[in-house]
Amino acid sequence: MASALAALQGAPLPDRIVELLPFGSGPLGTAIAALLGAAIVGSLMMTMTAVAGPWAKRKVTAAFTDRYAVNRLGPFGIVIIVADAVRLLSKELIVPEGADRPAWDLAPVVLAFSALLGFAVIPMGSGIHLADPEVGLVYVFAIASIASLGLVMAGYASNNKFSMLGGLRAVAQNLAYEIPLILIAVSVVLFAGSLQMSEIVAAQAEPLVDLGVVAIPAWYAFVNPFAFVLFIIANLMEVGRNPFDIPEAPTEIVAGYQTEYSSVYFVLIYLGEFLHIFLGGAVIATLFLGGPAGPGPASIGIVWFVAKIWAVYLFTQWARSALPRLRIDQLIEIGWKGMLVLSLANLVLTAIIVGVIA
Amino acid sequence: MSLEQPRPTDVGETADGGVDYDELEALLGETALGRESHVNAEAFVVRPDEVQAALSALREDAGFDYCSSVTAQQYEDRFESIYHLKKYDDPTQEVGVVVPTPTEAPKSETGEPVYRTAEWHEREAYDLVGIEYEGHPDMRRILLPETWQGHPLGLDYNPEKPQVVPFREHANPLQPDTRGEGAESDTMFINIGPHHPATHGVLHVKTVLDGEQIADVEPDIGYLHRCEEQMCQQSTYRHQIMPYPDRWDYVSAGILNEWAYARAAEDLADIDVPEYAQVIRTMSAELCRIASHMLALGTFALDVFGDFTAVFQYAFRDREVVQNILEDLTGQRLMFNYLRLGGVAWDLPEPREEFFEKIRDFLDGLPEKTTEYHNLITANEIFQVRCVDTGELPPEVAKQYGATGPVARGSGVDFDLRRDDPYGYYEELDWDVVTEDGCDNYSRVLVRMQEVEESAKIIEQCVDLLEDWPEDDREIQSNVPRTLKPDADTEVYRGVEAAKGELGIYMRSDGTDKPARFKIRSPCFCNLHTLREMTEGEYIPDLVASLGSLDIVLGEVDR
Amino acid sequence: MIGMLKSMATTMKHALDGEKFTVQYPEETPDVSPRFRGVHKFSQERCIWCRQCEKVCPNDTIQIVTDDMRNGEQYNLHIGQCIYCRLCEEVCPVDAILLTQNFEFTGDTKDDLAYNKEQLKNVPWYKDIDPLASREPDREGWVGEGDGEVDYQ
Repeated sequence: MASALAALQGAPLPDRIVELLPFGSGPLGTAIAALLGAAIVGSLMMTMTAVAGPWAKRKVTAAFTDRYAVNRLGPFGIVIIVADAVRLLSKELIVPEGADRPAWDLAPVVLAFSALLGFAVIPMGSGIHLADPEVGLVYVFAIASIASLGLVMAGYASNNKFSMLGGLRAVAQNLAYEIPLILIAVSVVLFAGSLQMSEIVAAQAEPLVDLGVVAIPAWYAFVNPFAFVLFIIANLMEVGRNPFDIPEAPTEIVAGYQTEYSSVYFVLIYLGEFLHIFLGGAVIATLFLGGPAGPGPASIGIVWFVAKIWAVYLFTQWARSALPRLRIDQLIEIGWKGMLVLSLANLVLTAIIVGVIA
Repeated sequence: MSLEQPRPTDVGETADGGVDYDELEALLGETALGRESHVNAEAFVVRPDEVQAALSALREDAGFDYCSSVTAQQYEDRFESIYHLKKYDDPTQEVGVVVPTPTEAPKSETGEPVYRTAEWHEREAYDLVGIEYEGHPDMRRILLPETWQGHPLGLDYNPEKPQVVPFREHANPLQPDTRGEGAESDTMFINIGPHHPATHGVLHVKTVLDGEQIADVEPDIGYLHRCEEQMCQQSTYRHQIMPYPDRWDYVSAGILNEWAYARAAEDLADIDVPEYAQVIRTMSAELCRIASHMLALGTFALDVFGDFTAVFQYAFRDREVVQNILEDLTGQRLMFNYLRLGGVAWDLPEPREEFFEKIRDFLDGLPEKTTEYHNLITANEIFQVRCVDTGELPPEVAKQYGATGPVARGSGVDFDLRRDDPYGYYEELDWDVVTEDGCDNYSRVLVRMQEVEESAKIIEQCVDLLEDWPEDDREIQSNVPRTLKPDADTEVYRGVEAAKGELGIYMRSDGTDKPARFKIRSPCFCNLHTLREMTEGEYIPDLVASLGSLDIVLGEVDR
Repeated sequence: MIGMLKSMATTMKHALDGEKFTVQYPEETPDVSPRFRGVHKFSQERCIWCRQCEKVCPNDTIQIVTDDMRNGEQYNLHIGQCIYCRLCEEVCPVDAILLTQNFEFTGDTKDDLAYNKEQLKNVPWYKDIDPLASREPDREGWVGEGDGEVDYQ
């Protein structure tokens, strides 16, 4: 435990970059190192999003529907990412008359960046860890909730009735699911005993059951599968993916809050959605799947971490292909009556278990 | 002592289920000015201001609770509206009510208080022919824009005159909308469509919302109006009309539509169809029905599941197989042009064994696919939560609006023209009519899925029959003259069970080789009228789901 | 819950079994049935200029011009306007106009698709299949084989 903790609390990325730079560890050096670290993490996440959006989503959907997907441009069709980027960015930016300008322009930016900011405290293994505050978990949830603000801005400022309906639905949905989400995360905190992300990951490093050949680590998914399932569902709702993609229900309210966005803003919203999915995946990986832990040395931890995020993403795609969408009032009913009660029960149960064992 | 009361026979019904027109004439008394004889039924001529009296007498006392169609036409010396009445229990009992009106002032009383379905039919009659109906709650155009000048199917319409149609209502979309009950109301007016991912074509639904709940719904149709009726009136009976029915319900139900026209024209001109051709017609029509229901299922799943997810793609993949079979048979995948008056265009493709094997392979694969759909759709709890108890249509309301097809059968109304008014080879085959009592979206979906299985049964029996058919008896078309001129002044109204309901055709001939009046009674038109009843008080997602479960095709609604 | 899990299991089964339904066009050209109604091919040698096809066409797509001695000068068929109903082939007594199985044709403007005699003659067979040879003789309905009485079909 101590070694794992030491390995993870080794040094956050900016500190290590500072040692490499000739500026020394004054304010300039720290600032530049922080920026470089953020750039590295941001690029990593944006690359994953760029691959996931135009390419992986289509390939996975095609697999579920017995079709071929992008297979013409480049090997395995990977060049579609470039083609899509060029196509989307070259479209005309149409500004609706009567749109509430600063809010309308800022909404996509808020949506995309709230997700990126959340990646700052997540331990990704291999020493890629930007910052490690003692209340890291609270920071992640707080930042991710700013996305709700972005949704409302987009919905209201577009001067479009469909957008407004989408924005209102988004608010109702997010309010209903923040609370169960946080309650389940609290139950994990009870197990780990700390809000700091690296400590939560370190607490899962011990083996739970040693079968000789293979040691099943004490990942909270195995310790408390009930909370794991609940958290995955609540995360799906938070992120706004099928079956809970009500704010942007295409067959009901055209595109919900996204209706009036085109070109660059649409790209930002589109990428922002995938970034949120990946952020949710990262939180699940950290809280329940042991973060960057996996067989092999600790230096390839980033590979396992990315694998876990992609596993969560593939799960969302799978749910999307098979499940119909709920109606907003049914969704909120499930949120306030079903999920809240279950997550409270889970919390009480966890408290009892922790009290009994420890 | 029997506790069962014998069902009182309606006035005018004979012991063996026929219609005694003399009794009906006696019932109508002085209202009936005269009697006409159409090929399918007799009709009573009534005065324009006694329409409601005649219709309610026929409805209440004689039991004619189904108004299939209201046809309007203009003769040289008068206008005429015809109400075609039938019974849901026995559609072979028909009667017509003819209302002549003078050319200078074509006004007649509305039939809407008696039959709700007459509301839209009379609006269409006003729109296309020019007859005004007094007492109608909403007398304005339905298919053409509000600013259209003239009535296209009247005799003195100038088609060369340019029509300028400014959409004045929406001149400035940014002005504050003060519709609803005054400027202070809490309701919001929203336009769903005509450009919308869920409206099955170009349909404009004017919705007034109270929060997310629907306060009022008004479908605004006519975006796909091509005046098919006029196009058919300019084409010869023998050949030129036959490609048109494919284009009414254009999603794969082509042969069913063509059969409606073939049945009406064959009754008009008294043409027989050889038995072999009847079997082929039945088989190809049921294949079309399967394809159409697959598409209905796929698009309904699209509305409820959101986006082009798995169910939609699987339904289309299965539909492709049916289209391949139909391509081998008819030469085309969607616009078949396969039936001819007196039979079908050509025989089954050679080698016959290969063709039968293809069909049998398809039928063998169906149960597995139905289980798959069951797992994906009907057994899915989220789907059930979305569709059960939404879009309620009680059977009495369905009958008032003239709903037919899976919409009516999903409300428990046991009405199917294949069994009740038999044509083709249906009477000789062993199959059941599927009804569900749920009255909601879920039961309509179930009806469609089960009808696919029933159609598969019919096709299998037809294939067995065709395989063993003696080789020298394979007549595909009876002798019909190349130029067909039915007797002048004969009128017929006939319907078939198309994929969406009763597709009826009214034709009047005037001795030439082209019809003088060709009126299409579209099932989707009448089914769409029930949308209002189904969705009031529910939410927007329910509106979209109800629209999907009605399974409308705008080509048929607007013709 | 069970129903939802069954739905998800069904889609996953489809993903894992790897069967694809798509035809990789244009590498594989699909096999169309022998009766498929594609672009028309006109044979001037066979045509007797009876104008039956022009009369029966529901769309007024075929336009024929003959001189006063009824010699054929022009035969125009707008393949963009045509609805491919095959009535012209059906009424033609001499098989002068046929619908091949060819669906691969393009034009830059709509007027490019108004084919005249020459262009109609040069329409290629799809995969070199001559439809008359592969379709069954289904035209006894039109022209009797010479049993004495002429069939008025």
